[in-house]
Amino acid sequence: MTGINVPVLDVDVPPDSRWRTALRDHPLLVLGVVLVALVVATGIIEPRYLGLSGLRNTVLLAAPLGILAGAQTILMLTGGIDLSVGMVATAAAYVAANQSPRGAGIAIALGLAVGLVAGAINGVGVGVFRVNPLIMTLAMSAILLGLFTALSFTVLQGSTTVGEFIETLGGGSFLGNRIPYNALVWAVVSIMIIYGLRRTGLGRLLYAVGDNPIAVRLAGVRIWQVQIAAYILAGLLAALAGILLAGRTGAVDLQLAVSFLLPSVAAAVIGGTSIFGGVGSYSGTILGALILGVLATMLTFLNAGQAIQQIVYGLIVLALAWLYARVTGTG
Amino acid sequence: MTAETAGRIRGMDWSTWMRRRGWTVGVWVLLVLMVVWYAALIPKFGGFQIASISKNSLPLVYLAIGQAIVVIAGGIDLSVGAMLILTNSIAAQLMLDQPLGVTLAVAVLVILIGAVINGVVGWVITVSRVPDIVVTLATSFILSGAALLVLPSPGGGTSEGFRAIFTGSGSGSGSTFWPSLVAIAIPMALAAWWMKGTRTGLSLYATGSSLGAAYLSGVRTGRAKVVSYAVGGGFSALAGLSALAITGSGESRAATGSIFTLRSVAAIVLGGVALTGGIGSVVGAVAAGIILFTLSPILSAMGIDPNTGQVVQGVLIVVVMMVAGVVELRRQRAA
Repeated sequence: MTGINVPVLDVDVPPDSRWRTALRDHPLLVLGVVLVALVVATGIIEPRYLGLSGLRNTVLLAAPLGILAGAQTILMLTGGIDLSVGMVATAAAYVAANQSPRGAGIAIALGLAVGLVAGAINGVGVGVFRVNPLIMTLAMSAILLGLFTALSFTVLQGSTTVGEFIETLGGGSFLGNRIPYNALVWAVVSIMIIYGLRRTGLGRLLYAVGDNPIAVRLAGVRIWQVQIAAYILAGLLAALAGILLAGRTGAVDLQLAVSFLLPSVAAAVIGGTSIFGGVGSYSGTILGALILGVLATMLTFLNAGQAIQQIVYGLIVLALAWLYARVTGTG
Repeated sequence: MTAETAGRIRGMDWSTWMRRRGWTVGVWVLLVLMVVWYAALIPKFGGFQIASISKNSLPLVYLAIGQAIVVIAGGIDLSVGAMLILTNSIAAQLMLDQPLGVTLAVAVLVILIGAVINGVVGWVITVSRVPDIVVTLATSFILSGAALLVLPSPGGGTSEGFRAIFTGSGSGSGSTFWPSLVAIAIPMALAAWWMKGTRTGLSLYATGSSLGAAYLSGVRTGRAKVVSYAVGGGFSALAGLSALAITGSGESRAATGSIFTLRSVAAIVLGGVALTGGIGSVVGAVAAGIILFTLSPILSAMGIDPNTGQVVQGVLIVVVMMVAGVVELRRQRAA
C-alpha cells in the first residue's frame, strides 16, 4: 500500500475506515468472518446443517472446486488465466474412469498425465509463442472437447465408472464418516501450494512474473520457463480435481467439470487474487472456495432453482470484488 | 486531427497501408479462399449454400462486432454469450404468435434492454475499478440465470416476417441469400463508420490505446467505456434476435452462451483486434466470425466428422495465433 492512500481514505469516509483498515491488513480474517456468517445463516435456515454431516457435505463439495481454483490462482498470479481447467479436469476424469479396470494407480497416473500434457501445451503456447492465455486455453478447451467426444466412440469406449479406490477418495469419509478423504487430499495440496508459493524459488518467481515481467526478464529469468511450469502445475491440479470429482459422482461424462470453470475463477477472485497478476494467496482462494460451497448449500436449502443460484452467485462475486477494489484503492 | 496529419494518412504509401490494414485484408482474402474452396468441395454451390453460411454466421458476426468494440475501447466482455441467450429468451417469449409489427417493436425494445443492461455493466466497471474480466464474468452468471427465469425450457416463437428479415425466408431456410448478406453488411458498415468516423468512436480507440494519455488529452474515458459496453450490449441483443430468427424458437442453456462467448473472443483476435485494446477493426472481426463458422461445413464436406472438426478448428486457431505471435516477436526484435 502506498503511504499516500491511507490518510486520504481515512479522511474520506471516517465511519467505516476501521473496517477498511481491517480488510486491507487482514483480508483473510474478513473472509473468515464472511464464511462464518454464511455458515450461521445457513444454520438458521436449516438447523440440522450445523451438525458434522452438514459441514462435511460442504467440504466435500468445496474440495474439488478448491483444487481447481488452486490451478487458477497459480496462473492468475503470473498474470495468466486458464479457461481450460474445466475441460482438462473432465478429460482426466474420463481417462481415469476408462483405465479403472487396470487398477487405481495406473488410472490416476494416466489421468494426471492428461493434465500434464494439456498444461504443457498451454504453457508452450503462452510462454514460447506468446499466444494470449485467454485464446490459448479456450482453444485447448475446444480441442479437448472435440478430441474426447471422438475418442469416446473409439479408443476410450467402455468404462465410464471409476474404480472403488477413486470413489472412496472422491466421495468417502473416514473417522466414523466425519472427515471426507477428498478434504485430506485438498489439505495436502493446500499445504504444498502455500509452502511452494512462499518458500520456493519457483513460487516467488510466479509472483514476480505477474508483478513485473520486464523487471524479471532483465534480472535474467527466462519467463517462458516459469510460464510453462505454471501451466503444467495448473494442468496437474485440474486433473486431480477432475479425478476427485469423478470419484464423488461415481460416473463420468463429458460435462463433468465444465460448470466448475467460472466458479474456479470466482473462488480465486473472492480470495483476493488479482487477475492482473502478482497479488494474492492460496489461503484466500481456500476461503473463497469454502464460501462458494456454503453458498451453494444454503441456496439448495432455500429451494432456490438453478436460475436464482446463478444470479446470487454472480451478485456475490461482483459485490466482493467491488469491496476489495474499494478498500485497496486499486483495480 | 489536424489537416496535416489527415493528409498524411490519406496520402500514405503502400507499405504503410499494408502494415495498418494488412491483417484485415488478409482475413477477408482468407474468407474468400475458404468459400471458393468450399464451393469446389461440394457438388452444387448456389444460393442455398450462400444463404446457409451467411445466415448461420449472423449471431457470431454480431457478437464479434460487439466484442471488437468493447475490446478496442480497452475492455473485454465475457458475458456476450449470456446476453445473447437472455435477449433470445426475452424476444422468444414476447414475440410468440405476434404479427410482424409487434415483433419489430419487441426487437427494438430487446436491443434497448441489451444496451441499457450492458451500459450499467460498463458503469459498474468504471466506478468500481474492478477488472472488466471479473465484472463481466460475474454478470455472465447473472444474465444466464435471468435467461433461465425468463424461459425455463426451450420454447417461444416469432413471426415469419421477422425470420425473413434475417434469413430471407419465413421458415428460416431457403435460397434467398441477399437478406442475410445485407444483415451482415449494414451493421458492419455502421459500426465501422461509427468507430473510425465519429468523435465518440475515435474516443474509444484513444481510451483503449492508452487510458492515461486519453484522459489527460481531455477524452472522457469513463464515458467511452460505458458507451462501448452499451453498444456492445446492443449488438449482443442483435445476435440474440438473429439466433431466434434462425431457429424460430428460444433457448436458454447457459452452455450455449459460454460457447458463443469463447467464439466471439476467438473471432476478434483472429480478426486482428488486440486484446490489449486500441488496435484492430470491426471489419476484420466480421470476416473472422464468418470464417469460424464456415470451417465446420468445409470440414464436414471433406468427410471429417464434427468432433474431429472441432479439434481441427481449435488447432487452426492456435496455429494462427502462434504464427501471429512469432511475426509480432520478429517485428519487435527488428524494430
